[in-house]
Amino acid sequence: MNYFLRLSVLLVGLVVSAGSYAANTVQPLTTADDLGPKVEQPFEFPHNRHAGNADKGGMEINCMYCHTYARRSMVAGIPPVQKCIGCHQSIESVRETPRIKKLFEYWEAKKAIPWKKVHDLPEFVRFNHERHIQRFVFAQNKPVQEACGYCHGDVKTMTVARRQKPLSMGWCVSCHQKDHPVDATSTKTTHGPNDCWQCHK
Amino acid sequence: MIENSFNRRNFLKVLGWGGATAALSGCGNTSVEDGKEFVTSYVETADYIIPSIGTYFNSTCAQCDAGCGIMGRVREGRVLKLEGNPKASINNGKMCGLGQAGVQAHYNPDRIREPLLRNGDRGEAITWEKALGLINEKVGGVNAENIAFLTGVVSGHDKALLKNYLDALGSGHHYVYEAVAPSVIRAANKKAYGVEMPRLRLDKAKVIVSFGADFLGAWVSPVHFSQQYARFRKPDSGERGVLVQVESKMTLTGANADRWLAIRPGTEGILALGLINALAAAGLSVPGDVAAAVGGYTSERVSKDTGVSAEHIGKLAALLKERSPSLIIAGSAAEGYAHGSQNAAAIALLNQILGNVGQTVEAPSSTPFPQMAPTTGNRLALQSLNDNMAQDKVKVLFSYGTNPVFTAPATMKLKENLKKVPFKVVFAHYMDETAVEADLVLPLNSAMEDWATVIPEYVAEGAQLNIRQPLMEKLYPGTLGLGDILLGLLKYRRPDEYNGFEDFYSYLRNAMVTNKDALGGASKDGDTFWEAALSHGGVKMVGEPVNLSGNVSATTLVVPAPFVEDATYPLHLIPAVSASMRDGRNANEPWLQESPDPLTTIVWDSWVEMHPKTAAKLGIVEGDIVEVASKSGAMKAQAYVFTGIHPDVISVPLGYGHDAMGRYAKGVGANAFKILDPVFDKETGELAMHETRVKVTKAGKRVIIVKDEGPAGGNQMGRKIAVRLTSNKVNLSEEV
Ligand code: SF4
Repeated sequence: MNYFLRLSVLLVGLVVSAGSYAANTVQPLTTADDLGPKVEQPFEFPHNRHAGNADKGGMEINCMYCHTYARRSMVAGIPPVQKCIGCHQSIESVRETPRIKKLFEYWEAKKAIPWKKVHDLPEFVRFNHERHIQRFVFAQNKPVQEACGYCHGDVKTMTVARRQKPLSMGWCVSCHQKDHPVDATSTKTTHGPNDCWQCHK
Repeated sequence: MIENSFNRRNFLKVLGWGGATAALSGCGNTSVEDGKEFVTSYVETADYIIPSIGTYFNSTCAQCDAGCGIMGRVREGRVLKLEGNPKASINNGKMCGLGQAGVQAHYNPDRIREPLLRNGDRGEAITWEKALGLINEKVGGVNAENIAFLTGVVSGHDKALLKNYLDALGSGHHYVYEAVAPSVIRAANKKAYGVEMPRLRLDKAKVIVSFGADFLGAWVSPVHFSQQYARFRKPDSGERGVLVQVESKMTLTGANADRWLAIRPGTEGILALGLINALAAAGLSVPGDVAAAVGGYTSERVSKDTGVSAEHIGKLAALLKERSPSLIIAGSAAEGYAHGSQNAAAIALLNQILGNVGQTVEAPSSTPFPQMAPTTGNRLALQSLNDNMAQDKVKVLFSYGTNPVFTAPATMKLKENLKKVPFKVVFAHYMDETAVEADLVLPLNSAMEDWATVIPEYVAEGAQLNIRQPLMEKLYPGTLGLGDILLGLLKYRRPDEYNGFEDFYSYLRNAMVTNKDALGGASKDGDTFWEAALSHGGVKMVGEPVNLSGNVSATTLVVPAPFVEDATYPLHLIPAVSASMRDGRNANEPWLQESPDPLTTIVWDSWVEMHPKTAAKLGIVEGDIVEVASKSGAMKAQAYVFTGIHPDVISVPLGYGHDAMGRYAKGVGANAFKILDPVFDKETGELAMHETRVKVTKAGKRVIIVKDEGPAGGNQMGRKIAVRLTSNKVNLSEEV
């Protein structure tokens, strides 16, 4: 275990130096070459239908409506089934579609839906959603989808979410090294912490 | 430690260079583990439940009988850490290390997960229906006279249900057994003050003289006393209290004392009477008969008998006379002898003479529900059960909350006598020494999965009923709580009364809500009352203060002369009750094995503590494996040489030396209970824990003791970390 750990720390350093040329260029929201594996889910949740633009048939629901914990906690979390039902019990038009039927099956059986993690950092990394959302969405007034998209890509165009970014240490650091305005109006800048223990506690 | 045989070189070799580059770049990117784990998700949830953020629920500690209020931090449905409940009057938000280890009782890998029925040497898993049905059949097949229930301390609704079950069976045989408990002191207190356990106000005392009561470590309610002790040391008045500890083996409390007096074992009563005599001589008003009775206890004689110098006796008497109120506490060191009751009575008399009764010895409140008041235990109970078993009078035996096969001295032959009982039901968390003897083992919920109400013996203020509620879902579906088991059994016997309750929770809730007026909830509706009780971790009740009696009488007071030496067994054995290990019931929690003993810093083993003089006489050095032999048995352990012990005494901690129970307890150390001599307190019949005489011989081997203390021992390597300071208020060398 230890060997792999040490090895990966060393190698991440290599990757950082190799990847640093990209540090100051703008990162596109989706980079196809870093796509994560397709993750098999209990049923396909259409992010595009819920969060997509209206002209593409989306509902433009704010990410934080369902991932309500992201701004308050380390983890973004998955909404309780109760929340899905809260809306879907009065959306008759799709009530009989296969996915919604499945949703109601879980609800009636009072069973949590066993969603798989699509973005899962190793146990030795501590990523805090709250800090990022508070900084980008609430302090800098960035659109929510843009802020979430820095790490999650353009989720509003996806059905089942799929990892778009490498989420490696070098990749995190490339953003933490950049200067960011402290809030929406200020010209003062700051950057994310670069101390080891911020993430490796 | 997990050995990793697959080192980096092999790793690269196996892959070859092409593979290695692929793997290397892989390390940087895809240590991300997508699609493997599940996200914590809920069906419905309360607003206050946020993943990754802890929610605190109040409950009651079950690690010892002090009944402190605790809060469990629960995250994603799992309890992670315990804290003290700030609203609990016993512990005010604090707790001890033993309590902290409660999570290890819960997550312990050795817990029993389903009911086990004996089939030859093996336990066969059976269903609860079958288990309870079988019990009902067995108790139905014998005379109620032959059914016995052995438990540890019980209180609250568990006690009420147990009583109802015994009534339903028509048997009154409930034995309440505590292996280490101040049972002689309780009896002596009852005589002297009219109550078994008065409230001790350490915080009001200006001087405390404790005869071996380890109230900061393991005695009665240590977390509560520790807080009082802090106020005693730093009172509002600014006059720092002085603690004098009199004992033959230093306890944690002794180590904190301003003056630690090493006394010859068993002579505590003599010193108490000597102090009364000295106080009378110094002008304190003492009733005539008492003065006459103690007249013979002159300083010289007492000093000769006890080994405490006349100078110290004089200083102590002067201190007690000058500073009032004081508090004199009798602890396990005083009660552990054949004349333990007399020692305790002499110490109580000293309190009375000093006028402390009503000042620092206060009346407790009675509880408005006597059927739920705690039934404390003693060692006599086990003795009488044992006698009955030996005479074939027990046909069905239940055992809950005790482990008598481990804690009974070998001379009782308890294990042999148990074999005479045709059907033994043991309620257990682990396959401990008693459970392996059982015919039917019933696996219990951990305290973090259970419903119960608890009334501790020592309640800090008023009367109260603590609630123990589940902090998380059960880890194993096959365990049950005592309440549920009793309810299940009662349904066979009194279906009309109990069939209406689906489980113990509904019984408990109903019982509490029905009586809410007496439980302080008169102004609330049932639901609000119940929610509030759960959220506070208990309810306050209105109790009547019990009157303390102030009978000062010396007529029955006789304290025997000190021991005569025994040439074959020259040393006294003090079985020590340590703050972590106590009677050994929690020995399978590795934190407790791992946390160093506060005085010796030894971990993961037993030891034999002895004075350097004793060690020199026997040619023993630290780490020698020695044999400690009494008339009743022998044990081996490593020697630890320590000045905090009387030269006539050796001490071995209790709780170690399990030969069952689980991976962390089994085979660690040796069991000192086994070699205790069958000597009993003359008045109460309690096993006199400190009466065993032993001889110590070297067994040949020598080991390096595993301990935290550095090679220089306690001398702080010359760094003066905790130097002895005289305060402006107390000049220690002058006053004590
Ligand atoms: S003193 Fe006893 S009840 Fe209190 S926290 Fe410690 S183990 Fe728990």
